[in-house]
Amino acid sequence: MSPLGLGLLALQWQVNPESGVPLAPRWGWYVVLYFFIGGLIAGCYAIASALQVVGDPRDREAVRIGHRLAFPGVLVCAVLLIVDLGRPERFWHMIIKSHHFPEPIFKYWSPISLGSWILSLFGALAFVSFIGVLLETGRLRWKPLVRLHQRVRQLPGWVSKAWGILGCLVGIALAGYTGVLMVSAVTPVWHNAVPLGGLFLASAVSTSYALLILLLLRRGRRHSDPTVRKLEDADRWAVWIEVALLLLVLVPLGALARPILTGAYGALFWVGVVVAGLLAPIILDRIKDRGDLERRLRLRAILILVGGLVLRFVLVMAPQWPQVPPWHL
Amino acid sequence: MAKGFFTDTTLCIGCKACQSACHQWNQLPAKPTELTGDSYDNTGHLNALDWRHVRFIEQFPEDRSQEGFLKGSRWLMMSDVCKHCVKAGCLEVCPTGAIIRTEFDSVFIQQDTCNGCRACLAACPFGVVDIGTDGKAHKCTLCYDRLQHGMEPACAQACPTDSIRFGDVGELMAIADQRVAELRAQGVDAYIYGKDDIVGGLNCFFLLVDKPEVYGLPARPELPSKHVAEGFGVSALTAAALAVTGFVSFRKTRMDERGDDGQGAPLAPDTPAPPSVGIEAVRGTQRIVRERAIETEPRPRSLPILGQARR
Repeated sequence: MSPLGLGLLALQWQVNPESGVPLAPRWGWYVVLYFFIGGLIAGCYAIASALQVVGDPRDREAVRIGHRLAFPGVLVCAVLLIVDLGRPERFWHMIIKSHHFPEPIFKYWSPISLGSWILSLFGALAFVSFIGVLLETGRLRWKPLVRLHQRVRQLPGWVSKAWGILGCLVGIALAGYTGVLMVSAVTPVWHNAVPLGGLFLASAVSTSYALLILLLLRRGRRHSDPTVRKLEDADRWAVWIEVALLLLVLVPLGALARPILTGAYGALFWVGVVVAGLLAPIILDRIKDRGDLERRLRLRAILILVGGLVLRFVLVMAPQWPQVPPWHL
Repeated sequence: MAKGFFTDTTLCIGCKACQSACHQWNQLPAKPTELTGDSYDNTGHLNALDWRHVRFIEQFPEDRSQEGFLKGSRWLMMSDVCKHCVKAGCLEVCPTGAIIRTEFDSVFIQQDTCNGCRACLAACPFGVVDIGTDGKAHKCTLCYDRLQHGMEPACAQACPTDSIRFGDVGELMAIADQRVAELRAQGVDAYIYGKDDIVGGLNCFFLLVDKPEVYGLPARPELPSKHVAEGFGVSALTAAALAVTGFVSFRKTRMDERGDDGQGAPLAPDTPAPPSVGIEAVRGTQRIVRERAIETEPRPRSLPILGQARR
């Protein structure tokens, strides 16, 4: 759907500044970092899986990077989420009924419950892919697994594609639910920011393109490398999609967006998200001068990553001020 | 049969007996109070320790002369509490199943299940649920333990003016409607906050004489799930847009390469021949090698004739 179409859809949402007066959920840096790292690994995994399906063998290194990052990233996310709980030792209550062990608990209408399952499923996929990369690169040489890996390689091509498509979908689900989790809060700023899920997804994918480009450059790939070019081209689109969604979030909010756009958080938003995270990369894309292309690409990627982190920090923390200070964990 | 409270704010005298009784029965510890600076309220709002909170709203006219002051000033009081909503936002989002609906239709947090994820804090449109120092969510239980023994909740029993009444919700609503009619007959602009228009109805509802915002209540509260489907819809559209642009970019780069030299780009030097990249990738490599072999093979200018070929 075009940005105009999305804009028209946005007009149908009626902003209700009286949606509720909840206490701040006291989300702090653990949640901000989870949103950022979770988005990154989900995006990287989805992109890697997509390259596995529609890419060519030259993209294999990017596929390996994406698949290798995901599992350690999931572990970091799990730690962040568990530490954030009031009772960390009860983390398993998120997916298992504590009164009816081991019966699972799943509320598809509750984004936090859905998210717990998505993260668990993503963790399982990421683990398999991680082991696959270790076997592929020869870092894991346990014979039963090596034999299994050889058998998997002999499976028909559609199996590999199906696995890639599944990974892509679950990665997108992980990157796309966090914004909806915020929409499910009745705090007027979040509750009325309906396209927040899309914004976080676009930002996650964009930051993931940026991270993959950075890692490929670090491994000696050049600006003209086909995989780098693919990722850069795709990221240009992702940045514009992010711009469109940011406007769709903020414009309908009107006065409700004041905590995000004004004050110290506002300054951080304008500098970190708008200027550094979106405008600067767009301007860098437009520069015709053929200087040090790798350096420019690296700078662009770093700015996008910084913008993605600041976006989440401001959107999570600003509406909670002054109940929750910016340094709250 | 649903049980609940009817809190008639016109009868509240701000004695805080309800707050004290609640603390006493539920063994909620006292905490140092602070003067908020704008009223006699020293609790601020409902929280993990104050499951009843008496709100003081002082309304004074601009005209501060004695006559104007007496005519236009008003002191509103309201004993706030969990609304035990018919459609409870906290119960809706709770991922652990810690928040349940009891046989009295009240909403109860099971302390042995709650893991302190705090989803319910953001989901309650009335700012009722709070997290305690023990890391778990807390709020009014409608004195579930007392109800199980046929007793009424401590706050309702302690209220000296019957501002807080406990009973069957249907009966209480009938009493409330009657009270509203009486007050309106006296010229008071009274109404019930908590009928079906407020998130499907509140089992603990209020008689108010000013706008809900004046009492710190939302005028049009919404359930957490209100925009969830739309939110996921936008995520799906975004995913589709990213997929299409990604696919186009991935394919376009490949086409550009083929357009540059007409032969398809060589494999990047740092890309090792994939030994075990999955069957599809191996097939892809074979295909590229095959295509390149065909393209790089010098094409005969004419069809080979048997005799020429021999020469």
